[in-house]
Amino acid sequence: MIDAFVLLFAWENLFFLVIGTALGIVVGAIPGLTASMLIALTLPLTFHMDPVAAVTLLIGEYVGGISGGLIMAILLRMPGTPSSIVTTFDGYPMAQNGFAERALALGIMASVVGGIISWSFLAGMSPSLARFALQFGPWEYFTLVLMALVMLAVLSQGSMIKGLLGATLGMAFALPGIDSSIGQARLTFGSDALLAGFGLLPVLIGAFAISQILRDAATPQTLDRMELPKRRLPIYRSDLKYGFNLLRGSVIGTWIGLLPGIGGNIAALVSYSTEKQISRDPDAFGTGHEPGVIAAESANNASIGGALIPLITMGIPGSVTEAILIGALTIHNLQPGPLLFQNAPEVAYGIIAAYLVANILMLIMMWGAVRYIAQIVRLPRSGLMAVILVFCVTGSYAVNSSFVDVWVMVAFGVIGLGLEYCRVPLGPFVIGFVLSPIAEEQLRASLMMSDGNALEVFSRPYALLFLALALATLAWPSIAARMGKRSGQSKGAP
Amino acid sequence: MNDRKRSTLADLTLAALTIVGAALLLIGASALPAPRFEPLGSAALPRILAGLLILFALIVAARALRGDRTKVAETAPADGPKPDPRRGALVLAALIAYVFALDVLRVPFLVATPVFVVATGLSMGARTWTNLAAFAALGLALAFGISLVLERLLYVRIG
Repeated sequence: MIDAFVLLFAWENLFFLVIGTALGIVVGAIPGLTASMLIALTLPLTFHMDPVAAVTLLIGEYVGGISGGLIMAILLRMPGTPSSIVTTFDGYPMAQNGFAERALALGIMASVVGGIISWSFLAGMSPSLARFALQFGPWEYFTLVLMALVMLAVLSQGSMIKGLLGATLGMAFALPGIDSSIGQARLTFGSDALLAGFGLLPVLIGAFAISQILRDAATPQTLDRMELPKRRLPIYRSDLKYGFNLLRGSVIGTWIGLLPGIGGNIAALVSYSTEKQISRDPDAFGTGHEPGVIAAESANNASIGGALIPLITMGIPGSVTEAILIGALTIHNLQPGPLLFQNAPEVAYGIIAAYLVANILMLIMMWGAVRYIAQIVRLPRSGLMAVILVFCVTGSYAVNSSFVDVWVMVAFGVIGLGLEYCRVPLGPFVIGFVLSPIAEEQLRASLMMSDGNALEVFSRPYALLFLALALATLAWPSIAARMGKRSGQSKGAP
Repeated sequence: MNDRKRSTLADLTLAALTIVGAALLLIGASALPAPRFEPLGSAALPRILAGLLILFALIVAARALRGDRTKVAETAPADGPKPDPRRGALVLAALIAYVFALDVLRVPFLVATPVFVVATGLSMGARTWTNLAAFAALGLALAFGISLVLERLLYVRIG
């Protein structure tokens, strides 16, 4: 770990971490632009970079992107990222009451503390969890991937069936191309362009960036009156009284981040609701109550550290952003999972070290420049969107110097827009696309090992556990609905 | 058309397109060889996924016809300006024209990009002479900047 920090402080890596964090904060502050979009767009630039420099850039963007969202959430009630939606509940009323600086100070401090606490989990758990995951065979990996996909699809917002449909569609789009086990074209329908399959990057950029820009283009933006911070951000010794609030929010955020499919927005919401439930003054929440800002911001930042744990120890992405990070690692011929700690320890520990330093950089940058960052929202959005579209086109082209990838990106932009219109969540779709080859490879290996006997899965305890968790996740919505109905009936009974 | 009808139509279209996609998977899988070296074979996953897609599509269609709505669909639209799909369509058309110009017509990147930035910027923002000049300057600077990075740093030539 110490070596990772030493490597991180090499000027090149530190430079990219600073750039990544700054870019992330700026993009996170702009409503409509997200960390995942930024990471997808900068991924082509990392092709020629050293893997450690590449991951530091992307981790910086991730941390900055989530943290930057709090600025507009507090000043404009317009969350820069979905993770900051809950911050608006108390942050915006505080700003309207003339305490914008105080809300920003608490939000930034809570974000940093959340990040540092979840880093301690990340650094403490990841190496041992990776060693534990080395015992896993193909059956365990297949069922783990299945569980992650099911959880992601079921726990996504909206209809469970549409979540499952999205994941299955994503898996189906990963099928065309050369089937590596037999070396023969599959589902290419005679098209040479499809022999290489759909590239990960064009699919990601199309599904996220293009579809979002097309959606945003149709929605004219109006700005409410913005209370810009005028004074220094105040933080007091007496704020130590919020220590338990910070710890609670951070632990909730970390553990929720660990679960696939539940992003920073849900982590913030759970943390906020918990804080409200145990508060002596629950009615104050929503009116500009300081613990509300702390609960939301500590949890949403902590969820990043939590989500990075399954990513680097087992290669399982918890959200779209992690799916893109997996793409970044595979581009550099690195397979995320337990062997990452053995084959490329500088990258595995580099991710952990970069996450901590990015949080500290974020504190310095946001503390010093929040007033100027807030002005970004005044930039004409039409120009910004046009620039991003050009980056999307050039980024997709630069992967293979091929316009086929650019057309794929446009097509997936339209598909993403269509899916969102039909309320099919994009998260399961993209993660299904990423995990499909892994799931198929592991299932094939499992069946080969067990001479085609699928019942072999029942003799593997961890595989059985993952399968049981997947089934329980599938059954949970109907169980919860029945329980809700029963408790409603018992309350209504005389 | 009210929101409910629009949502039903969207769900039915989604179900129909999914079934078409599943049919394509089954057609493609039928042309694949039977497994020889391993039990699963190349066609198994496409067939499994096609089956699942058909199942989910039928459930979505049945729910749409029955008029079921999830909590998300029931929520009232957020306050704020009404979306104008024409602007989104204009941006998409400009994007397709831009890629077509670069790929098929072989228009130089330094020419196509400023034109695209102006077209996209004006279709999303206010159509004033000041904006036109600003977007043209932005597009030109962007085109030069990107081509410099692509050609000098990444050794990639575009357009």
